[in-house]
Amino acid sequence: MRLEKCWFCSSTVYPGHGIQFVRNDAKIFRFCRSKCHKNFKMKRNPRKVKWTKAYRRLHGKDMTQDTTFEFERKRNRPERYDRNLAENTLKAIKKIDKVRSDRAASHIEKRLKVRKGKERREAQKELEQSIHLVKAPQALREDQSLTLPKIKVQVSQPKSDQNQAMEE
Amino acid sequence: MIQSQTHLNVADNSGARELMCIRIIGTSNRRYAHIGDVIIAVIKEAVPNSPLERSEVIRAVIVRTSKELKRDNGMIIRYDDNAAVVIDQEGNPKGTRIFGAIARELRQLNFTKIVSLAPEVL
Repeated sequence: MRLEKCWFCSSTVYPGHGIQFVRNDAKIFRFCRSKCHKNFKMKRNPRKVKWTKAYRRLHGKDMTQDTTFEFERKRNRPERYDRNLAENTLKAIKKIDKVRSDRAASHIEKRLKVRKGKERREAQKELEQSIHLVKAPQALREDQSLTLPKIKVQVSQPKSDQNQAMEE
Repeated sequence: MIQSQTHLNVADNSGARELMCIRIIGTSNRRYAHIGDVIIAVIKEAVPNSPLERSEVIRAVIVRTSKELKRDNGMIIRYDDNAAVVIDQEGNPKGTRIFGAIARELRQLNFTKIVSLAPEVL
């Protein structure tokens, strides 16, 4: 069973899924689903479409260089079956996957930190520059001209006799 | 999905450039032909000074379709254009070269000569 990568979004294409397009120069384009196939037919560049792996890699959204990526590689030579090797590989897959996902999460966290710090600094600056707009509550109480005067409005509520009758 | 009046490209050097399907060989009232089917076609455009001429009626086998082809293993494959190879009554190609990728299904249908000439079998 060979798992291919989608030409457009770089996700894994499992057997029986998606479609293959063969250009006349015999280049094969594999697509994981009709969404990717349609986007290809619209001649969209995967590097410019935000949800693709190519875009995310190009714009530094995802982790690009990591030793965990070295394990997943296309191998054209079939490995000779060895029970111990297969067992160790299956164990390693879980571990490597965990390491990779942890590293990817930390990468995203690190990336988001920049924005958070920037927002904080901007907020601080705004507070410093426009603190004069904020009046202390005591000042509002002492100087009546700063607040709108309170006006009492009488609201008439007509009482219906019907309801009383119903209750009885 | 090749039916009569469909125009096809020619994927060999037989001298024809464009074909038009006029009949599908097989059962009667057959509507569409797919990869590996033999059709009767008219040459709509030919290379000058070649053995084949315009408006000549020939047999051809379809090698590529832009309609998707489903394989038993679940693979769905689609080509760039509709293309055919000109053959004689025995199923041998009239040309000596084949251009572009062709489908693997032709091997099972005993068009081994075409498959062996093809630069790429997919």
